[in-house]
Amino acid sequence: MIEIRFHGRGGQGAVTASRLIAEAVAKEGKYAQAIPMYGTERRGAPVTAYVRIDYRPIRRRDLVHEPDIVIVIDPILSRKPSVAAGLKSGGLLLLNYPTPPEEVEIGGDFMVSTVDATTIALETLGRPITNTAVLGAFSRVTGITKLKSLEEAILKRFPGEIGKRNVEALRRAYEEVHLPKPAKGPLRPREEEPPHVTGYGVLKSVADWRVFRPVVDLEKCVGCRLCWIYCPETAISLVDEKPIIDYDKCKGCGICVHECPVKAIEFVRESV
Amino acid sequence: MEKLTIKDIPLEEYTITPGSACQGCGPALAARLVFKALGDKVIRHGVPSCPDSVTRTPHTFSVFESAGAALTGISRALKVLGRDDVLAVGFIGDGGTYDIGFQALSAAAERNEDILWFCKNNEAYMNTGIQRSSATPLYAWTTTTQVGPRGRGKETPRKNLPFIVAAHHVPYVATASIAFPTDLIGKVLHAKRLRGFRFIDILCPCPTGWRFDPSRTIEVARLAVQTGMWALYEIIDGREFRLTYKPKKLKPVEEYLRIQGRFRHLTDGEIEEIQRMVDENWERLLKLDEEGEFPL
Amino acid sequence: MTVEVMVGNKAAATGAKLSRVQVAVAFPVTPQTTIVEYLNEFITKGEMDCEFINVEGELSAQVVVQAASRIGARTFCCTSGPGCLYMHHPMHDTSSLRLPVVMAVVHRGNKGMQPDHTDLMSHIMTGWIQWYVENNQEVLDSIIMAYRVAEDMRVRIPIAVGYDGYILSYTAEPVDVPEQEEVDDFLPPYKPTPSLMPEDFDPKAPLWWRVPWEEHHKVIVDAKEVIKEVNEEFGKRFGRSYGNGLVEEYRCEDAEAVIVAMGTIASTARDAIDNLKAEGKPIGLVKLKCLVPFPYEDFQRIGSEVRAIGMIDRNVCLGVGGVGHTFIRNAIYDLEERPKVLGFHAGLAGKEVKVSDIERMAEKVLKAARGESVSPLVEWV
Ligand SMILES: Cc1ncc(C[n+]2csc(CCOP(=O)(O)OP(=O)(O)O)c2C)c(N)n1
Ligand code: SF4
Ligand code: SF4
Ligand code: SF4
Ligand SMILES: [Mg+2]
Repeated sequence: MIEIRFHGRGGQGAVTASRLIAEAVAKEGKYAQAIPMYGTERRGAPVTAYVRIDYRPIRRRDLVHEPDIVIVIDPILSRKPSVAAGLKSGGLLLLNYPTPPEEVEIGGDFMVSTVDATTIALETLGRPITNTAVLGAFSRVTGITKLKSLEEAILKRFPGEIGKRNVEALRRAYEEVHLPKPAKGPLRPREEEPPHVTGYGVLKSVADWRVFRPVVDLEKCVGCRLCWIYCPETAISLVDEKPIIDYDKCKGCGICVHECPVKAIEFVRESV
Repeated sequence: MEKLTIKDIPLEEYTITPGSACQGCGPALAARLVFKALGDKVIRHGVPSCPDSVTRTPHTFSVFESAGAALTGISRALKVLGRDDVLAVGFIGDGGTYDIGFQALSAAAERNEDILWFCKNNEAYMNTGIQRSSATPLYAWTTTTQVGPRGRGKETPRKNLPFIVAAHHVPYVATASIAFPTDLIGKVLHAKRLRGFRFIDILCPCPTGWRFDPSRTIEVARLAVQTGMWALYEIIDGREFRLTYKPKKLKPVEEYLRIQGRFRHLTDGEIEEIQRMVDENWERLLKLDEEGEFPL
Repeated sequence: MTVEVMVGNKAAATGAKLSRVQVAVAFPVTPQTTIVEYLNEFITKGEMDCEFINVEGELSAQVVVQAASRIGARTFCCTSGPGCLYMHHPMHDTSSLRLPVVMAVVHRGNKGMQPDHTDLMSHIMTGWIQWYVENNQEVLDSIIMAYRVAEDMRVRIPIAVGYDGYILSYTAEPVDVPEQEEVDDFLPPYKPTPSLMPEDFDPKAPLWWRVPWEEHHKVIVDAKEVIKEVNEEFGKRFGRSYGNGLVEEYRCEDAEAVIVAMGTIASTARDAIDNLKAEGKPIGLVKLKCLVPFPYEDFQRIGSEVRAIGMIDRNVCLGVGGVGHTFIRNAIYDLEERPKVLGFHAGLAGKEVKVSDIERMAEKVLKAARGESVSPLVEWV
């Protein structure tokens, strides 16, 4: 049995990716289970999903604790060593990451493979929905499913133009993926829980929900308070009539950027 | 209502953040604004809904169908304990207000319980993943009003709940919008000073369920008001009616509908139909406003 | 027959579709919600010809199916946790009126969003037949079988098909979807009795008829035979059946001890039993599918064949104990030689039950079977 764990963020399609793998291997006559770790995730919040693949019906219904493969479809989560928690020795860590595996910071007794799925997704789909691109890399690196089965699964789920573009993302990633290298980075995964947010209530920091970060140009700001009054997260406070952003509270929704009447707030892509 | 400027809005925050709501969540902003205006002498009551309102005031929780009953219990207990300085406040979704909670809402309103009820109205059940409620507008797509060969989204217009609540002869009913914070907070401050059943229905766009980019939450909320899809008014004692926002000319509803994925499938004919409905309603509201009287 | 990878909720909706449900009513509640959405999708696409009602709450959901079933429509309802509890009052009448409503209950406990069986088990006294199933295939098959059983004139009792929220509701796995014609052959159209149509109606009939307690109880007890029959016939036609319809014994040959489990825990337990068997341990699994009517006869037989039984209850009847544990002890009381019956409360509020957890429970039951003393007799895992 092969066990896979996915990490992503609400809205990027980690759960769909897990389903597509299950559908693809089922076409090849294997058995699969795709388990999303649903709580009450909201758009932007980290999410987890699992896949099991076997040659006979799969009966166990606990979660995957020691995956053979970990796939991270979000570039920011790809920086977190905790994504590799529990990964089997000799296993594979497949990251959506812009640079080759040698430059990955995470290290351990497993292999790392990288693919710049965000760039591929932006160029093929026009949106940073990275799941199908990562699947292309998965197919190439692991050989667990054929590219063709994944294509069929994608086209069935997304008929028409969107499906075609997703297949393009899949194929490009298949070609462009950096093949696995031993994970030599300095950061070791601790035995902490992998990133995942469920449930209701108050969080410590939502800094890693952001894809873009609002940055205020205090020179341009005319002190109208609009960004302050419209921020749902109370991330903006007023100091001498000027807005100061608390980046632990800012989810990067972009409301302040959109509402500033003098365009004094810029939306800057978070660096990876 | 009280007339305010943005500088009059208190700086203190009562919501605890960051919460677990989505990026750009309209109801989360509504919670922030409402509880800012209410201050700390509050017991906030909630029923199941999206996780958009965690306040540092005391709070209670009860089953989905029960907000009106729970708030009654809270308010009557405060009364016997002689604590008329503490407000019983419900911050309840449109599901918990318009639908499953309607019976208990109506009963509490008819008894004129000493309650402040805020409906954080995102026009569907969002916590369970975008199902229609009776606050969902005509033709909106939801996961239970899908679009296909046998479906054009929701088949019926939304229930006019503020008018129904006003028909219970309660002291205060108002509509509000998160895009108009001074109007909203002015209404909350006014309601806070009254006694009896007070109801404020706040339109709170939900980027996840309405399908638009989270940065546009305020823009969408503003357009709802500027197009007349969501008029801002107050009804006092079930008798006096007043529009609190009266543009010379409404913008075409198309501007509001076209930027939301939930209306993506609309034909020009359907948009015209909605435009006619909105125009008729606006005429009616202008007339009520002019006469100043709510026809009970 | 085609194989489709689908989640448990789609299997339930597909079961309802293949059963040609005419009136479907539900109110969204996690983790049942996507059943409602799939039904809406089938209907919107024109794949299913059915009145679908978006009611304002579960109390109405239950009463709408009750009334529609009385008038003569095949009805389907589905719910979870809090919604299931909110329906309690009218559920009594659905059974008292002997209406063949079928309802999927996607388990969710009342202490959070996560699954346990306390939602459906709170309705033990409402007169609903209760099945607990272990995988998505069984979800689909059981809904179809439920209509056959519920509409059988010897039964005419509503049936709840329960499956664990999240663990099945949102997990995708391959499911064999039978052809519509095969299901049509198996499941003839529903006819209400008595007919309430003006031309058939007997004005002297009582206005509001509820079957008396004793008769009501006996009908449900006797339904066991019909359930077995229907399960067997389903097996012949579709190539799959589920034990005898009430319980399924897995690798119980030569077992000195058995674990009894319900729902998805029974599925995970199969791996645990295989592991222990590989080590030569004399253990087997009994899956308890039908809780109401309770298969006393099966447990009397099993109880006379083994020396210890370990019941895993994903529930607690507060202040009383595990429901399965209590019922099994009741079943074996009259045996000459009684096995030990150990109890385990596991998986409540969605707590994960791992293969290793079940192996450990099984070892304890084996120890009791060897006559060694074990304590406590009932344990929270
Ligand atoms: C009796 C009962 N039925 C169903 C549910 C499931 N449920 C929880 S929240 C919710 C929808 C809430 O909708 P709304 O009140 O509009 O609040 P929102 O999530 O949109 O903020 C539903 C259906 C429940 N908790 N209890
Ligand atoms: S991006 Fe959103 S959360 Fe961040 S400061 Fe601006 S309004 Fe607040
Ligand atoms: S909205 Fe723009 S101008 Fe107004 S306070 Fe914020 S940054 Fe300054
Ligand atoms: S679904 Fe909508 S209402 Fe719910 S938390 Fe997300 S944005 Fe807010
Ligand atoms: Mg809502």
